[in-house]
Order: sequence, then C-alpha cells, then structure tokens
Amino acid sequence: MHGYIGRMLFVDLGERSSRVETLDEGYARSFIGGRGLGARLLWDLAPTGMDPLAPEAPLIFATGPLTGTKAPTSGRFSLTGRSPLTRTVLDTNCGGSLGVRLKSAGYDGLVITGSADQITTLHVDAQGVRFESALDIAGLEVAAATAALDGGSRAASVAVIGSAGERGVLLATIMVDGKRALGRGGMGAVMGSKNLKAIVVHGTGERPGVARPEDLDFFLYEVKKQLAANPVTSTALPAFGTAMLVGVLGKRGLMPAMNYRESAGEYVDALCGERLADEFLVRRGGCWGCPIQCGRQTKTAHGVGHGPEYETIWALGPNLGISDLSAVIELNYLCNDLGLDTISVGGTLAAAIELAQEGLLDSAEARCVGDPPAVARAIRAMAAREGAFGDLASRGSRALAESCGRSEAAMQVKGLELPAYDPRGMQGQGLGYATSNRGGCHLRGNMVGFEVLGTPKLVDRAATGGKAGLLIVAQHLGAALDSLSLCKFSSFALSEEYYARLYSAVTGFDLSGQDLLLAGERIWNLERLYNIREGFTAADDTLPTRLLSEPNDEGAVVDLAPMLAEYYRFRGWGADGVPASRKLDQLGLAGLEGDS
Amino acid sequence: MYEQFRDIGRDIYLAGLISSHGGNMSVRVGDRILITRRGSMMGRLGPGDIVETALDRDDSEVALASTEIIVHRAIYAATNGLAIVHTHSPNTILRSMIDDEIVPIESEGSYLLRKAPVFSVAQTAGSKDVADAVSAGLKGYKVVCLRGHGPFAIGTVLEEAFQWISSLEMSCTILNLADQVGRPLKEFREHGDEYGKW
Repeated sequence: MHGYIGRMLFVDLGERSSRVETLDEGYARSFIGGRGLGARLLWDLAPTGMDPLAPEAPLIFATGPLTGTKAPTSGRFSLTGRSPLTRTVLDTNCGGSLGVRLKSAGYDGLVITGSADQITTLHVDAQGVRFESALDIAGLEVAAATAALDGGSRAASVAVIGSAGERGVLLATIMVDGKRALGRGGMGAVMGSKNLKAIVVHGTGERPGVARPEDLDFFLYEVKKQLAANPVTSTALPAFGTAMLVGVLGKRGLMPAMNYRESAGEYVDALCGERLADEFLVRRGGCWGCPIQCGRQTKTAHGVGHGPEYETIWALGPNLGISDLSAVIELNYLCNDLGLDTISVGGTLAAAIELAQEGLLDSAEARCVGDPPAVARAIRAMAAREGAFGDLASRGSRALAESCGRSEAAMQVKGLELPAYDPRGMQGQGLGYATSNRGGCHLRGNMVGFEVLGTPKLVDRAATGGKAGLLIVAQHLGAALDSLSLCKFSSFALSEEYYARLYSAVTGFDLSGQDLLLAGERIWNLERLYNIREGFTAADDTLPTRLLSEPNDEGAVVDLAPMLAEYYRFRGWGADGVPASRKLDQLGLAGLEGDS
Repeated sequence: MYEQFRDIGRDIYLAGLISSHGGNMSVRVGDRILITRRGSMMGRLGPGDIVETALDRDDSEVALASTEIIVHRAIYAATNGLAIVHTHSPNTILRSMIDDEIVPIESEGSYLLRKAPVFSVAQTAGSKDVADAVSAGLKGYKVVCLRGHGPFAIGTVLEEAFQWISSLEMSCTILNLADQVGRPLKEFREHGDEYGKW
C-alpha cells in the first residue's frame, strides 16, 4: 500500500513483549488512519466498561496516510484511548515529529497495553522495541526528562509525561518533543498508570511511498497556492500564532472571562497576539512539514519556552482575572513542564475561584483571582495532588464543583473543561460543544470558520437555524483531517476536494471529497457508538446551565434545544441521540450497534 | 463610510464587473485601512463586511481582511491613492490576455486613461509579486491590470477608483468588439497612434 507502511506495532508493557501485525487494508480504506483507525481499534480492543487507568486500556498512537509525505502540515499523528477525565472515547492530535519518525521506523501505528512493573522508557525503532528502566528520570519534569532522553538528537522524537502524569492527575498531558502536547482528556494519566514515563521513537527520516507522484506535485502546487493566498494561513497565524484570536474574538464579545461570568473585551490590548509578537516572541516555529509556522518560542524576564496558544492565554489569563501577559506566559511554561492541560487547569481553577467567592470552597489555593504567584502555587498543588485542594482539583472542574454541591460552577461538557469561545455569541459553537464526542471541545467541529472568520463563508453567528447542518459537515471534515493526518488550520484555506486529491495521489485509492466526508461521518458515528456502549445518552449532550440561562452582554443565551433536535434528525439518529440502523448500514457499521 | 462601500459595491456587482464573491475595495483613513472582508459579497455588503486593520503592518484583524490586503497595503505605500477598487471585469480580463498594454481607441478611454499597463504574475491572488507589480504600475497610471485576473485602480474616494475601472472595461469592450468585427477602423483623434507612449 502506498501512503501506508502496512505494519502495526503492538506492545504489552506487563509482558515486556511486542509483535507486528499487518495493517488491515479494509480498516485503512474505511477509517483512513490516525483518529479513525484509532477509533476502530479502540472499539475492537477495549472491553465494555473498561477502566481507563486499567492495564488493559490501550493507548493507540496512529499516523495517517499523509503523515510524513510532502503534503503541507502532514507532521501529525493521533492518540486514541478512553479518557480517565471524561470516560468518553478520546482522541488527541499532535504535531512535532513523532508521527513522522514512527512511520519512518516502519509502523503506521503503535498500540500499548499492560502496565510495567517499574517505571519504564519504551524505545521504538526499525528493529522493534526496547524496554529501559526510567528510574533515573522518574519524577523529572518534561524539559529535563526530554533532554535526558533525546540528548539533543534530531533523529529521535520523545513523548514524556511530567510528574502530573506519574501521579495520575486527570488533567495530565503527554508532551512531545518538549513543546507539543497530546493535551486534552488526561492521557498523561493513562500513560502514568502504565508506569510508562516516556516513548522514544527513532526514525530513519525516509518518506513513505507515493502512488502518483506527478499528480501529487500538481495538487501540492495548488494547495500551497491556496495556503499562501489566504490571510489566516499566510499572515495571521504565522505572525501572531493562534493568539491572533484574542483580538478577533475579544473585540466581538466572544472571549469570556472569569469562568464565563464576564466578557473579556477589557483584556484584549494587554493579552493580544500583537503584544505577544512585539514583546515576547523569540522565533516562530512549526511542526514537521508545516508552512504555516504558528508555533511560538517566547521569552520573559525569567525564562524561555514554548507558547502560549490562544486557548492558554484565555484559560490562564481572563478566565482567572489575569491581564499580565508575561505572567500568563510563565504559567504556560509551568503547565508545559509539569505536563498539564492548560485549558482544563484554567477551567478548574476558574471554578475553584467562583466556589471560593461563594463560600462553598474553603481553600487558600482557590483565593488566587488575578494573582499569578497564587495561581502558580495552585497549579503545583494540582500537579502534586497535594492537600485536599490539590487532590480534588487534580480530578477536574466537574469533580471539584460536585464536591462543593454546585455542579453548575464547572464550565464543562461530559467532564471536559470548555475552551475559549463563548457560545452565547456563536450558537453553532454551542451545539458543537454539546455534541463533541470527547466533551467540551472546539476542535471536533470548530464553527469559528463559519461564524467568525468567514471560512468558507460567513453565516449569522447569532442564528440557530441551519447551524446543525453546518456543524455536521465541520465535524466530518475534522474527523477526516485527524485521520489523514493533517492540521485543521489548513482548512482555513482548503476544502475537502483538496484533501481528497492529496489522499488519492498518495495512496492510489481514488476518493472524492464526498467520500472523504463520508469516512468522517463513519468515524464520528463509531465514536458515538463507543460512548453509547459506555453508558452515555442524549442527556449528556448539553451545556453548563450558565450558557443556557445567563445572558451575555448582548442578551443572548445558547438556544440549544432546537439545534440539538435538528442535529439528531439531520444525522439520521433517533430523538434519543442513537444512530438509526439504517444510518449504520449506510456507513458500513451495521452490527456494531448490537454490541453497544 | 459604510454607505460608500455598500453603494459602490452594489454598483460594481450590477455592472457585471465581478462574480458573486469576487473583487475587493479599501479606503485609507490616516494610518488605518478599511477593507472588505475576505469572502464578502460586494453586491450586498453589511457593516460587518468592512474590516479595519493597520496601514503598514499586520494585526489580528488581517485574518478577516480581503486576500488582497498585501496588494492594497503596497499600493498605499507607493502611491497617494486614498481608495482602491479591484474587480474581475470580464472584457478587461480578456483584453489583458491579448495585449501587453491596453490602449483605448474610443474617446472616453483615450481622454481619461490613455493607457493601462498589463502585468503578468504566476500567482495572481494576494502574493508579494502581485503587490510589487501593481503598486509600481499605479505610480504612473490610474488603473493597471493583472493578466487573467483583473484591474486595480486608485482614487481619492471609492467612486473615483470605480470610475477608472468602469472606463477601462468600456474601452476593452470596444477593443474586443473591434476584433470581432474585423473591419478597418477610422481614426478620429489627433496623435491617435501615440497613446501607447503615455
């Protein structure tokens, strides 16, 4: 097969064994790779009711057919498993070079199960795997552990957890190459539960074969032309990173503050991407093979590091009442080094602040509003699960708020803390949060293109009619991109017809844009079936009460019910949110519902 | 200001000088630019379709601005224009694929424009090559044309830039009709064969 290696590596940490299996071509064609392949393997491998932190819980690292090719933004891969934070299916997509190295080492994917009897580093190369003791790096944070493992080598890619992951913090990330995060849903805790401190992948640098190189060259010419002409991909993201959204959203009342109790307009000038570029940027950077270069290496008076992204600026800035950009950057460095998801950390602390202000939480760590040193202390307590607050907050905002008897204070969906788009001003985004298969997330079908940036076309962000149909397409395209695996930022300039042509040229499997979206729909429905199998229902497709009942500055709340009813109907699901048999037949998923 | 954008945009669309989502316009106001939103419909512009961004540097609003923002900035840097109109005028585009410079043969075009240069650039939308060529051309002419893409014009206000675009389209329509007729034309101007020297 072109584009694919055709080999999957399976590792059992408990048995200290590994085996290579041939990639199922049917799975590759139906689920593409990356996130889609991960969803299918999770369905097959994970027993119903599996504890996400149990040894049998799989960590499925999967590349896509475009990973490592000349396609722009193709240095990506996916990690799929069951989230210990949300208990949903969880895929998380990452840049850096690990995916490229895994493929050039001779594997389309790496599936890890079992639990090592002592903390371990897993080395992967073309010859197979090596299990090495990680006792010498146990307890080290991300930067130190990464440096100890890669030794400055550019031939290896390193995925590590910090102390948060080792301690089972449910907000823990896996950090790749010291600067890219498998960020959401607590997969760092899953890695920690397996006594797996790090994965080091030694690749050869060889590119995968291409079925139709001449076609690919022409399609790449057209793709690069589009990326170069689009101001988002050619100018705004390279110049300001995702922090460009501070201005774009903040000026339009779409960036919330203080746990969604306020609007963050007053924070824009202090925290905008322009300031980040002028005063803190050291150099731009990007993932392997990416012309957009949205990554930021930054410096403050106290250090150098990577970030922040827009979501982080918001989560550790306006969400906590902080307008000092230097302090926000340093809090970002701290989270990166401890191995913590900045969005969930910010969301959890924002809930803690609100609960403390209401007298429902008696904790010194929660009295940190607008106080960066106090926020840093609270973050360290969470990472260490130190004291009553640290232990409770390490389980996320939902657990924290429920323990205080006021679950509404947690701005989350299905247990995942919400990101930085206030859906009261973007109705479609609200529907996206409610229906995301991994919980409150903007990356499963981001409506910012339709509702703010005008990509591909601008629609009325205050309207509810028609949003379900647009969101469904966005969710399918997102699933397809995560499976190819390409960066979603490319979709600000490109549509499915470009991606389908790239896929066809690389693999030799002819695929239309419609076929690609159909594969995305298949993946989305399979993820939905997994969640249903694990007990999720339509009642979980909702939003925090605040967004449904407390108006924003424009007097709007999310009018979720009619959008959700349309969404189910347009998807061919029942009113109970369960995919109908006819839909599953159409998607080639017939029979799976019987397992759910 | 919004009303000017709305009215000129509507006129441009009704004149058939753009497709549904083609073309763009901007106005320089001091150190700022007001420019049409990327993907907006010039025939039905709303207040949200006018984006304000910096004249000489990128800011976050550039994410919403017309793809041609780089060209508009270069034009303002190189000329004294205060307004820019860019369209995809069909007869002008056709003529630009025949001639290396467009020299009107009828009265209005000869009087107002005399000549419009044509520039050929491989990447015709939003590139630095386009910005360099068009801004250099507009130092000496009111309107210039990108081969296969369309004209850019400058003015003190949007209406003036629109006028040059409209006149050029009329001139190109006549040139194309003359080609179709294929008959010798009688010269009525003094120095009629010298407009190409302009």
